[in-house]
Amino acid sequence: MTPRERLEHWQRAGREVVHEADAKDLLGQIGVPVPERDPAGGRCVAKLCHDAFPHKSDHGLVRLGLSPEAARQAAAEMAERVPGGTPLIEAMEEEAVAEWIIGCKRDATFGPIVLAGPGGILVELIDAAEIRLAPADLRTAGAMLNSGPGARLLKGLRGGKPADREALADLISRVSVFFAENADLISEIEINPVMVRADNKGLIAADALIVLAPAATAAGQERPE
Amino acid sequence: MAAPNTTRLSDPRPSIADALDGLFDPRTIAVVGASRTRGKLGQAVLALLKSNGYGGRIIPVNPSGGEIEGLPAVRSLQDIDGPIDVVVLATPVDVALDALETCTQLDVKMVVGVTSGFSEAGADGHDNETRLRQIMQNARFRLVGPNCEGVVRPATNLHLTFSPMFNGLRPGPVAMISQSGALAGLMALRLGERGVGINTIVSSGNETDLTAADLLDYLGSDPQTRVVLCYVEELRAGRRFAEVALRLTEAGKHVVVVKGGRSRAGSRAVQSHTGAMAGDDRVISAVFRETGIIRARESVAAVDAVTALAAGRRPAGNRVGIISVTGGLGVEMTDLAEGAGFEVPVLDEATQTALSRYVPFYGSVKNPVDLTGVVLANPTYVGRCLAAVAADPGVDIAVAIITFVPDQQFIEALAEAYDGTDKPVLIVWTGALRSNASGEALRDRAVPVYDSPARAASGLAALMPMQGEVA
Repeated sequence: MTPRERLEHWQRAGREVVHEADAKDLLGQIGVPVPERDPAGGRCVAKLCHDAFPHKSDHGLVRLGLSPEAARQAAAEMAERVPGGTPLIEAMEEEAVAEWIIGCKRDATFGPIVLAGPGGILVELIDAAEIRLAPADLRTAGAMLNSGPGARLLKGLRGGKPADREALADLISRVSVFFAENADLISEIEINPVMVRADNKGLIAADALIVLAPAATAAGQERPE
Repeated sequence: MAAPNTTRLSDPRPSIADALDGLFDPRTIAVVGASRTRGKLGQAVLALLKSNGYGGRIIPVNPSGGEIEGLPAVRSLQDIDGPIDVVVLATPVDVALDALETCTQLDVKMVVGVTSGFSEAGADGHDNETRLRQIMQNARFRLVGPNCEGVVRPATNLHLTFSPMFNGLRPGPVAMISQSGALAGLMALRLGERGVGINTIVSSGNETDLTAADLLDYLGSDPQTRVVLCYVEELRAGRRFAEVALRLTEAGKHVVVVKGGRSRAGSRAVQSHTGAMAGDDRVISAVFRETGIIRARESVAAVDAVTALAAGRRPAGNRVGIISVTGGLGVEMTDLAEGAGFEVPVLDEATQTALSRYVPFYGSVKNPVDLTGVVLANPTYVGRCLAAVAADPGVDIAVAIITFVPDQQFIEALAEAYDGTDKPVLIVWTGALRSNASGEALRDRAVPVYDSPARAASGLAALMPMQGEVA
């Protein structure tokens, strides 16, 4: 299925929130780097993904720093606790120098917009995100990373390594283009955090969420298939 | 050649630009609701149209016929021969809707709906709104309003409004679009007092048909327009508004917008951080910045911004040279300029030397320059000092602060200094009403003149927007 067909399929199935595992599958299809699944070694993350629990850690559905074996056990335990969930075991990202949030939504006034800023727990602390119309081209995405207080973080604070801004700009642009093309089906996409590695080392989407538009809205904007 | 009234009905609907061409340069205007009774909207529209010197054909429409304001009235729109460029609806809502329906059968280009009682009336206006939308589905003409104060074009003496707030404006580089007629009136009056010329004012009202985006496109593309000033509460066609604004600002024009009603935040359920972080008002500020729109906090700040921009001089940088006849106002201006992201650097040696000829030892020639009251002894001294500061290679924008002015020559000298430089010059004149001088020489040149440092700081901020909003 193409990404668009999957969105339509999910929407027909009556889903509103699309959980992390499915959201990452789809984002992987459009070229967003996602963590390796079920790795044979190294430290792992175990999660249980469920449309009804988008904030997993609030429900004890995320465990970090486990061996592959321990991760499988943890995921099985969570699956028992929350029926209908999808277990997700991934390699844990250890190299990141910055955590970023990238979000897209349909604004009531301007239509598709894209947001990017310091992510992870920083979104709870400071609201330093830059907002632009979506789709944002590479130049606009680059400008978003050079504006606001977040710019200093990416350049490396107090001897910190500069982050891979090129990869981050590419991600912002890529996600915003996909969103704008499918904004009749999606009301929000959020990747938070994006684990950004040092310059030239790329990045990984550590968590993702897609919120679908209600089916009625989409029916009003039919597209030929 | 007067074609029969209905022949063009089968043609495709004219473009918005065609319709607006007709609105702004009309040969025939029909006023539905024209009345002899003082205080009625239709009476005021007719009287203002006449008294402001409109040269085309005005046709009062009133069921009792006869003569109104010295013009022969028709009993119905159907009695008018030939095409009608503009129909003004200035009647109670039921009559207005009937007349609007009649317009769909006639060769009408534009309708201006002054009448109220539609969506703005909430549940009570619901049926009227529904009927209005039904009629517009079959309309070939375009509609401004309803619930608006009309359209004013000073250059062509076109005053299609019941409000006297727009009388006596001079033509110039500013176009205004306002969803509130009263705010348009306030801003037009203030701009007029400062000598800033206005090319067109459209009170767009409910924007049932033509939106601020349509009007921005048309008025902003007019070569006469340098600045478009908008007051909007709800941006309909927001995406197009942003795209048009970007095209205009990239072409070197200025778009200043006051967005009213910011506290009415959306109360949707929020499932993500994106939803919470990208609240309605933050998105508006961000998109305005991205598209080069200058956001003003409220209408007077917008007037201050437009006053500076309308002069048409762009600063090369953010360095401000300030001269003042008093220390205190110079200090306040410096604080405000620096607070808005500007620099107030020490002046060039040569400039300081030039200023020393006029400034006593207890003044200052650095920046801000404290000329002291001594310079009032000679009416040309302040003008000469302004010229010296404006000529400083380290100054991008010059600000001159004056209080009471002893004679006319003083103002003439300032005007001369303004003519002698290409750099933006702002004047703070705190005592215009306590002066033996008229500001006409300044108004004639549309020199930006403010009555306080804070207002001038709003003008400065518009010349080089470095922060979110002009306050």
